[in-house]
Amino acid sequence: MTFDVPMPVSVVSDRFTAMGTRAEAHLFDAPAGPDAILLVRRAVARAEATLTIHRPSPTTALNERLARGEAAAVDDPILLDALETAEALWRRTNGLFDPTAGAFPGAGGGGFGHLGFDARTARVRPETPSRLDFGGLGKGLALDHAATALRAAGVVAGLISLGESSILALGSHPHGEGWRLGVPHPEHGGYFLQELTLREEALSISATGDRRAAVDRAPTVRPETGEPILTAMTAVAVDRSAATAEAFSTAMLVATAEEREALVLAASEPTRLFIHVFDPVPTAVRVLA
Amino acid sequence: MTGFDHAFDLSRRRFLESIGIAGAAFGMATAAPWAARAAQSGRGRGGGDRVRFGVIGTGDRGSALLENLLQSRNGVVAAVCDDYAPNLARGLALTEGKAQTFTNHRAMLDARAVDAVVIATPLHMHASQTLDALDAGLPVFCEKSMARTLDDCTAMVVKARETRLPLQIGHQRLFKPTYLNAIAKIRAGEIGKVTQVRSSWHRHRDWRRPVPPGSGLERRINWRMYREYSAGLLTELASHQTQVADWAFDAVPRRIMGSGSICYWKDGREVPDHIALIYEYDGGRKHIYTSLLNNRRYGCEEQIQGDNGSIEAEVGKMFAEDSPPVPGLQRLIQDVSEGVFRTIPIGGASWASELPVTHIAPQPLGRGEYNETLLQLEHFAETVKTRRLEWTLLRYGYHASVAALLGEQAIETGQPVIWPEALVLPRTIT
Repeated sequence: MTFDVPMPVSVVSDRFTAMGTRAEAHLFDAPAGPDAILLVRRAVARAEATLTIHRPSPTTALNERLARGEAAAVDDPILLDALETAEALWRRTNGLFDPTAGAFPGAGGGGFGHLGFDARTARVRPETPSRLDFGGLGKGLALDHAATALRAAGVVAGLISLGESSILALGSHPHGEGWRLGVPHPEHGGYFLQELTLREEALSISATGDRRAAVDRAPTVRPETGEPILTAMTAVAVDRSAATAEAFSTAMLVATAEEREALVLAASEPTRLFIHVFDPVPTAVRVLA
Repeated sequence: MTGFDHAFDLSRRRFLESIGIAGAAFGMATAAPWAARAAQSGRGRGGGDRVRFGVIGTGDRGSALLENLLQSRNGVVAAVCDDYAPNLARGLALTEGKAQTFTNHRAMLDARAVDAVVIATPLHMHASQTLDALDAGLPVFCEKSMARTLDDCTAMVVKARETRLPLQIGHQRLFKPTYLNAIAKIRAGEIGKVTQVRSSWHRHRDWRRPVPPGSGLERRINWRMYREYSAGLLTELASHQTQVADWAFDAVPRRIMGSGSICYWKDGREVPDHIALIYEYDGGRKHIYTSLLNNRRYGCEEQIQGDNGSIEAEVGKMFAEDSPPVPGLQRLIQDVSEGVFRTIPIGGASWASELPVTHIAPQPLGRGEYNETLLQLEHFAETVKTRRLEWTLLRYGYHASVAALLGEQAIETGQPVIWPEALVLPRTIT
């Protein structure tokens, strides 16, 4: 749809590197103008500084205690919020999303259920040595923090991408209803794997299809057993919360077919879940949801 | 094969694959031939005789090297030597009592019990032990830094050239996939012209080892604190990173400025616990280095900065100077200005170009995972078999040691120190 005379729209944009990936934000007719875009950077930077395990941070400090099986208080509000969110999503995904790393319950190890997290007292009492890794949730949390700050600043339209796999859609496209996003087909250029319309929602894409882009990156694994997921798949999740979308796209990827079906059946608005499984013959794409 | 052996073998193969992947990017055969050879020979089944190693110095570092040697595919530990009884017992225990023991390195050499030696004694002992071993016809792997004085460092190189025996200095970053990949990208121009390396090694500890009360062993055990034996942070830590800077710049510094102080641990030590240096290279390029012992927030880092990007080598990350725009979002901006509403192509996992991350936090040495320390020792073993002096590796080790010692001079004199031309080794030897 085009308009004969396009209505002028102001846009403020930013591109930066964060959380090991490229971030890009575009805000349209933002009341605070350039100041609004800084809210995105700050929110992402704060989330990264708190949740990173690649530098000293509140998370690495907590991990040092968890590695020794020691109880610890969680003093940092962003970390506490992350743990509360992670716990809720761990339950909603029946444990398929699990931000603890390294010890697999199926092998007698840990898992989030053994972390002993008590949100009321803001403490963890691990039953076994453990470690947190927010790599599968951090971008979503950062986007949620950014969304809160932007809405408070009166921003009503914007699109923010973290690594093109976690996307926040605020309001609507300046010239249409919602934001129409298309996930490109990984093997057939020019085609979309899926098209979705988002409005005040977040999109998360998780894939196992292309390993070449990341040398020596750890594979996606089933949290129960540590078994790597080798089937070529793309999981797409939509929710009002970017963290929820991210957790569910990961969960869909590591789930068995039966578990996946259960997640899809249990999902209710605003959560929408999709999986694309690529057979050895690429043209046979089965969409299960 | 046991479960542990299987896991270790898997970790070896993954490690060597990552070297191969790094090497494919930039023709490692010419740019880092030692790594190409190490990876190639490492893929073999380890046939042929195993090199009999004698480990001289089985304290903390020596024991760690010994543990690696025990896992090597082409070496055995035939003898251990240490004149401090607890250390000697520790080394013997690691070999399950199988190694011959010596309290004097000359006795080990005279016994002809080994094919090569690994030296991990205090710094001031490196030169005499290395020279004695080379004179005895034995190749030497010597921990970094090479020696306590410039003359001793040079004497070791001269002896190696005379004897043409392998002399390898312990700079394991030269075998680490993260660094090999970093150098590959630098040489390929991916971060543009590199003008600055900023590195640090910050710790939060007094750096002391426990001394038995009343033993009188303070200077012996805590030798790193005393100028007679060591230049402290410079020779024990900085030389790792001066080697990385030389590698990144593909050059040797021309001038050094420095400042050092006993700033925090005022406990009778003689060497600074807080140092800051600028190593100037040709073209105005600089390596800026700090090390201190009372804050660990910034840990061990090297930030290699070019006009088109940056590489954080220790953690294996690379950053473009300007993130390229997402094509779909560029189109979105144009669509908005033209009043067009259509589907925005976006989505799919993507990452900023990242080097393989092999270690996020320093891993303790010992059993478990194949790593660059083991690879460099296996490489040394191969050079022992072939009697090949790996000149480029020695050159890096020598310049790193000289950089540490000239840095010490700069700190002590408070004056800039010019790098003597006589202390620049040629790139090749005939």
